[in-house]
Amino acid sequence: MLFRYYWSLLVIVGCLTAGCAAKEEGTVIGISFETLQTEYWVASIEAMKSVCEENGVGYLEAVANGDANRQFEQVNNFISRGVDGIVIAPKDAHTVIPIIKAANRAGIPIAIYNRLPAENEGDYITVVADNYEISRNTVEYMAEVARESGKKHKAMILIGDLGDINAVNRRRGFDDALAAHKDLIEVVAEVPTEWNQEKALAGVTNALQVNPDIDFIFSSSDFLFPSVVSALKNADKYHPIGHPDHVILGGFDGDAMAYRMLREKYLDADGVQDVFFECQESVLAVIRKMREEQVPDLIVDPGFVIHQQNLEQKAESMWGASF
Amino acid sequence: MSNPVIFKRLRGQSIVILLALVILVFSLLSPGYFTTQNFLNILLQASGLTIVATGMTFVLLTAGIDLSVGSIMFVAGVISGKLVVGGLSVWLAVPVTLVLGIILGLMNGWFVVRFKIVPFIVTLATFFAGRGLGLLISETRAVNLPDEFLQIGSARILGIPLPVIIMIMVVAVAQLVLDRTVFGRQVYAVGNSQERSVKAGINLNRVLLRVYIICGCCAALGGLVAIAQLGAVSPTFGFQSEFMAIAAAVLGGTSLFGGKGRVFPGTLVGALLIQSIQSGLVIVNADPYLYPLITGTIIFLIVLVDSQRHYRRKQMKGIST
Repeated sequence: MLFRYYWSLLVIVGCLTAGCAAKEEGTVIGISFETLQTEYWVASIEAMKSVCEENGVGYLEAVANGDANRQFEQVNNFISRGVDGIVIAPKDAHTVIPIIKAANRAGIPIAIYNRLPAENEGDYITVVADNYEISRNTVEYMAEVARESGKKHKAMILIGDLGDINAVNRRRGFDDALAAHKDLIEVVAEVPTEWNQEKALAGVTNALQVNPDIDFIFSSSDFLFPSVVSALKNADKYHPIGHPDHVILGGFDGDAMAYRMLREKYLDADGVQDVFFECQESVLAVIRKMREEQVPDLIVDPGFVIHQQNLEQKAESMWGASF
Repeated sequence: MSNPVIFKRLRGQSIVILLALVILVFSLLSPGYFTTQNFLNILLQASGLTIVATGMTFVLLTAGIDLSVGSIMFVAGVISGKLVVGGLSVWLAVPVTLVLGIILGLMNGWFVVRFKIVPFIVTLATFFAGRGLGLLISETRAVNLPDEFLQIGSARILGIPLPVIIMIMVVAVAQLVLDRTVFGRQVYAVGNSQERSVKAGINLNRVLLRVYIICGCCAALGGLVAIAQLGAVSPTFGFQSEFMAIAAAVLGGTSLFGGKGRVFPGTLVGALLIQSIQSGLVIVNADPYLYPLITGTIIFLIVLVDSQRHYRRKQMKGIST
């Protein structure tokens, strides 16, 4: 009886090992995502899969649920299954370095999506939005709106996880844009959210309580908008554009809620990452690299700012509009 | 009263003293801190966490742990949110959410008592399964709730926000259960020694099953209270809430080894302390990089003081026996 159990176990392990070691047929790309916990990441992985299908490339997908070690293991698994290329949305700038090294050792082209790795000697392609420039342009537009109102403003920024280089660059963009408008806009609150909606709600509520005259808010991610809207409603400060007590609102990402708020005229401007462009470039860069074509090390998504004046022209490129 | 007695009593209330110190320091730094509105805000913002931490206290008292509370908040919130968006009355969604919490808590408890699996492992599995299920149902999209939900979160009775009233009721009932019922005494007994409690005739499985059900129910209710303030269930909702709930209970004096702790004032003050610090840092517009540093230092200090006290008490017991 015991022998039968061990024998069955051996057969199962054998099958699994053989399955893992077997080379995938045709051209296959491994797509590894750190998380799928926001709409942005879901839209990204879906876009990448579409690009693979359009180019006749197969794919394996893995999600690490925020665990950098697991992501490393998943990529090693891709390598042992003989993928031809890897696209990875990493947990952070540092934990991606051993992953790049592993791919380089195996001679597999690797593209890093959305997060710039820390400086290292590896061979890789990075496709990233210009978080700094997009934020700066968005806040610059908001400042122009503020200037047109002809009155002084008090500003608040919701900051993301300070361990995330994108959050840091968005904050820099905000600061630098407002540095030129010090005569008009005073930053009275910086709310760290760690990308957590409950912390964002508490932070915005507290900031509004101490500075009830805050009338200029920039959120480092659109996914924090439910918290901002809830806090503004509680403080009776959520009014559409044109209302005398309207709070100038801006965000970053281009998600579905931001699109709806733009349409309903509550949101003044939103910095949009071009998900379609970034995902296409990530997959195509790996395919070109496989064919030993020349590919730049860094592909920058310039993104764009969508606002009330260009909403109709730009809506089609805003990924949240179709999500 | 002699000085040593006063000091002894003060040492026993270190968490309350620390809370008072935090309030004093932030009040001196910003006049906006020491206001009725701010204290109401702190109570309101701590309400969800306090309710979740109350359930966690029951589990910790039995020397168990529940890592799944954040996922229970999320999955119960997503399911009830989807039902409301689909046309279910908001008031019917409340019992549905609580029942979901109870079912998930029952699952945790059942695996713990039936298969004797360590609670850490069982609830870790529920942690992943719950979040996965929630993401599957929500398709990783935010579930935006109708305005009636926000109205619950912002409703007031005699000027006191409804979430705060719910929190006070939960804390009061929980402490009454722990102090005045046979079940409450059994919870402490199980936490002190499972072996001795079985010898004393306590139905160990029933007590464990009940504490996980209570914890699941509190997680769902705490989640509901938080959602009522947010107006949406995002894919990250409840993420890492388990750590904050454990921190609030432990800060409030609940032992991770079981058998020691109280919901009132302990866990309540622990949650209020965490929220008071967060609120104070925003109000004084502190450098965002300082937040984790200050919060971590305060949590470390209070745990250090408590562990030293625990160590000294153990030494005294050793001497006396």
